[in-house]
Amino acid sequence: MKKAPLLILLILSVLVFSLIGFLGKDNIYSSQDKNLLEKPFLTSVFTGINDEIYPWDLFNSQKRNQAAMEASERQKMEEEMLAKQIAGENANAESETADNETVTETQDSGIVNDEVQPADVDIETEETPTEEEIPEPEEDNPFKDYVPRYEPFRETTYDEYVAHVSADIYGDMGVQFAASYPFGKVTMEYFDDALFIGDSRTVGLVKYTDISQHADSLCETSLSIWKTFKSNFKGKGTVESFLKKKQYKKIYIMVGVNELGTGKTEDYMKEFTSVVDRIHEMQPEAIIIIQAIMNVDREKSTKDKVFNNENIRARNNAIATLADNETIFYIDENEVLCDEEGFLRDDLRGDHLHLKGKSNELWKEFLLSHAVILEGTVLAEDVEVETSEKPE
Amino acid sequence: MISFTSLTFIFRFLPLFLILYYAVPSKFRNLIIIIGSLFFYAVGEPIFIAVLVGLIAANFLVADIGYRFKNTTSKGNRYRLKHKKRMLCAIMVSIDIIALVTFKILATFVESTLLPLGLSFYIFKMVSYQVDVYRATIPVRPKFIDTAAYFSVFAQITQGPIMRYEDGAFYNDKYFSIKNIEEGLKYFIIGFGMKVILADRIGILFNDLGMYGYQSITTPLAWLGAFAYSFQLYFDFWGYSLMAEGIMVAMGFDFVRNFNHPYASNSVSEFYRRWHMTLGDFFKDYVYFPLGGSRCSKGKMVFNLAVVWILTGIWHGNGINFLIWGAALGIFIILEKVSYGKKLSKIPVLSNLYVLIVIPLTWVVFAIKDLGDLGSYFSRLFPFFGTNDIAVNGNDFLEYLGDYWWMFLLAIVLCIPKTSEIYEKHKNKWYVTILLLIVFWIAVYFSASTDGNPFMYLNF
Repeated sequence: MKKAPLLILLILSVLVFSLIGFLGKDNIYSSQDKNLLEKPFLTSVFTGINDEIYPWDLFNSQKRNQAAMEASERQKMEEEMLAKQIAGENANAESETADNETVTETQDSGIVNDEVQPADVDIETEETPTEEEIPEPEEDNPFKDYVPRYEPFRETTYDEYVAHVSADIYGDMGVQFAASYPFGKVTMEYFDDALFIGDSRTVGLVKYTDISQHADSLCETSLSIWKTFKSNFKGKGTVESFLKKKQYKKIYIMVGVNELGTGKTEDYMKEFTSVVDRIHEMQPEAIIIIQAIMNVDREKSTKDKVFNNENIRARNNAIATLADNETIFYIDENEVLCDEEGFLRDDLRGDHLHLKGKSNELWKEFLLSHAVILEGTVLAEDVEVETSEKPE
Repeated sequence: MISFTSLTFIFRFLPLFLILYYAVPSKFRNLIIIIGSLFFYAVGEPIFIAVLVGLIAANFLVADIGYRFKNTTSKGNRYRLKHKKRMLCAIMVSIDIIALVTFKILATFVESTLLPLGLSFYIFKMVSYQVDVYRATIPVRPKFIDTAAYFSVFAQITQGPIMRYEDGAFYNDKYFSIKNIEEGLKYFIIGFGMKVILADRIGILFNDLGMYGYQSITTPLAWLGAFAYSFQLYFDFWGYSLMAEGIMVAMGFDFVRNFNHPYASNSVSEFYRRWHMTLGDFFKDYVYFPLGGSRCSKGKMVFNLAVVWILTGIWHGNGINFLIWGAALGIFIILEKVSYGKKLSKIPVLSNLYVLIVIPLTWVVFAIKDLGDLGSYFSRLFPFFGTNDIAVNGNDFLEYLGDYWWMFLLAIVLCIPKTSEIYEKHKNKWYVTILLLIVFWIAVYFSASTDGNPFMYLNF
């Protein structure tokens, strides 16, 4: 101890942390990634801190039991996914050898997705109108029978889950319905009673345009949908406190790029839905405008297994189904920010994921031209007419 | 595991290696170094390990031929012997350099993965070994085991320091001493903390500046970014060197100094005598002096310096920016030598300021590979060159300073030579021991959060 106090203290503390990690591995630390071939036991003690799991939770039997229960549920879920996938593959193989009739049928059913397996097709997807089924399309609304928040037509497969692939389980019906709304063009005053919630992309929008002179914003780098109601935005306040303090008319939200590698499309969708519903519950008078997760540029999208536009589209397709075009809307700014292949334009981007300061102007213009016209909204054309009339 | 900051390395490989190393009789310790190092290297570079093994064998064999020549006393024969040895050295050095250049070209023009891990570091060791054998500065004829251990030792293979064979004294047995381990552990923890707690954190600032494009930052933030990057590079590299040296010390080797408070220098030339010192010494001893150094005409000296700095630029990476970086430093150093250097270095504060402005600017060149982006950055550093067609956020400097001030403070404190003196005086006190223990576990926390968890480190 006298000759090498540091070494001895270090070894002792390694033993203590390892013991904690070991005792907690099946309960409080069960949610931590612990590949024991690569990582020592004590790793989860430290990664746990990030998830607000502390070593002393080991002495809290309630937390211990809850975590153990969640672990067994997670394991069950994974096993079920795997079993379903194997069953699906078997069914697929059988149907292929039998006849192709069922496969062609599903292709006709309005949902554009080649990967749809016959066994997975829901009754509801068959209810969705196809062009042939609509009797008089010229005078009728093609979305007459559209039901927002419809069920996904399949589940994320086990392979997709382990590869962090966001499965496109909704198709683009929600996107199409949302786009059928007749958005209008407005002036900056439109944002006077608006709130922007978002991650670093929205930080750019607020920092580099004059939106901040009109709207409130709650945005910070690394925000995810799971953190949206937890974060206090560097002391600015929580979403809840803002919604309690002031009545907004428009609440814009774009959250989703940071958590692309986290959970399945279903998990993201579930959390996003609950956030949107909670906002609506707190401010039923306000409309909620969901902005599509902004795409990434070509280099990032083609090289990155997680942060790519395929995965972004899958999640956008999911959240778009929340739009009812009455209180919840969905707009896709990628239309103006991306090239025809959907990559964030090279002339607009800062790094691979963000617009450069100046380009945010384009995004702002998009928002101005994709406004939901409410009672009392001043239209851009009215102002234009007024100003052009004045000199005469 | 190939990085010293990974928890697998710290808690699995390193302790296991040290236990094995000291468990075997001392004459087998170099063998344990070879086995452990080849294992370590193979984890990161399973295919190109063949290049390393081949070059180790070739360098040993060729150098060994020189020792087989019969020593002679006749003057004519001595001259011939020297000539033969010189040829041997030239041939092997050429092979080493050709290997380095070939892989660098492949990595630049074909695929970046074709550059074997640590190649430039072990090749430089090999070159120095050949020349030292030729110059007979190595006291005893090296055994294969000793040479292979020197070339491959895992602590130095990925990022140096470029230790000399004789400095390692691989021919001497290394004895177990708990004091060495304690001492090595201290170096290791300080390096670990510098890299993970300071360099990796403060590095986020510079990374952030690229987020919305360099033309979107204000001039004060551009300067803050240049300083942040200068600190990041310094503490990353100094930290890593200290970790490597800590491991070597724990194995019974002498400490090899790689950094000596460069930011306290009074000239750019001095800065590079105190920054990555083993590389600077390498260029000095094996390139600059053989060319004639400064003991020749002024024109020749300028040429020699230019050669050294262009080579330095090429060595650091493939990209035009590295060439510009090397050339810019070369110009400053040449100017200092032929003109203002001596006068300026006598004016204390002014010469410090000169270094603290010039060096961060050169690091910006070092950092930004794309020349268009580099242009944008410089137009923000010196806004009178830029266009007005930009959007900036005037508060950005204060926002970043608010988030990062404690890191800048810590970085500045650690840059002051006096801090090291104080540490040396107190390092055996109980409170320093506790402090190091805390630093270690904080560093482990940061390392655990980022290690092997790709989603943790990416924040958008």
